[in-house]
Amino acid sequence: MKAFTQLKSYEGRGSLEGWMTRIATNTCLNMVRASKRRPELTASDLSAEQSEWLGQNLANLAGETHRSTENKLVAADLADRLLEGLSPEDRLAVTLIDGEGASVKEVAHTTGWSESKVKVRAFRARKRLREAMEKLLKYHKTAA
Amino acid sequence: MTEAQTKIMEYQHITEILDNTPPASLSEQDRETIRAHVSECTPCRQAYEAAQLSELIVKERSAEAIGPSPFFQTRVLAAWREQQEAGRMNAFGRLWKSAGALVASLALTTAALAALSFTVPQATQISSETNPAVESMVLDGAESDEQLTEEQMLSAMYVDDEGSR
Repeated sequence: MKAFTQLKSYEGRGSLEGWMTRIATNTCLNMVRASKRRPELTASDLSAEQSEWLGQNLANLAGETHRSTENKLVAADLADRLLEGLSPEDRLAVTLIDGEGASVKEVAHTTGWSESKVKVRAFRARKRLREAMEKLLKYHKTAA
Repeated sequence: MTEAQTKIMEYQHITEILDNTPPASLSEQDRETIRAHVSECTPCRQAYEAAQLSELIVKERSAEAIGPSPFFQTRVLAAWREQQEAGRMNAFGRLWKSAGALVASLALTTAALAALSFTVPQATQISSETNPAVESMVLDGAESDEQLTEEQMLSAMYVDDEGSR
């Protein structure tokens, strides 16, 4: 709707799709920025399903993981919890690159950031996610 | 030697590679190098496991992402057309209003002019007709005693008295 109401400001210099994507991205980023960042997820915050998912997938990392709809929902919920610990910009970078398979160049075009900024954000996001996951796995293994 | 192998030699561990490289862009050769390293390095094995699980949940999150409904585009375009139509109607309404005001003012002016054309000649006629009457009344009045003022009457009496002497 923001794009729709601001349609008059579209100067036609770039593609309409790109212009709308930029508006959507910035609007979503502002919304996420407005919400408070959650503290780091700890093992005690995990639900029984999430702990089970971690155990199953850790055991099956080398092999084919059984992915039922329920498992996907548990994983998506766990991802939300972990991603909430990141800044909105880092979250966007890692979701687009690692989740959607977008290139650094595409993310730079979508967000208006420089390519090096995209790389730095993705790097920071991966590092934080990995470290948070390492902590969860450590607790999980201890509990098991 | 691949980039992954170079980095392992440089940093001694694989965490830099894991954090710097999107997992999907790691070649099979890179993965082999990483697997060979993590079989001997416990901290790197834990980091690799965590990185793999992180990648998995981010992908699952993206797969679960909610997309627009199939009729989203139709609805947006319809809403856009409605707004354009409303804008056109508004423009027409504004034009109609201003034209209406112009027509109304013209009608008022015409009515005023018509009223003037009926009333003004009569007034001219009346004035031209009444003026001689007024003049004659004044003249007549000057001659009759009834129309004389007290002062005129007194001066007339004195004149009469002097005449009789």
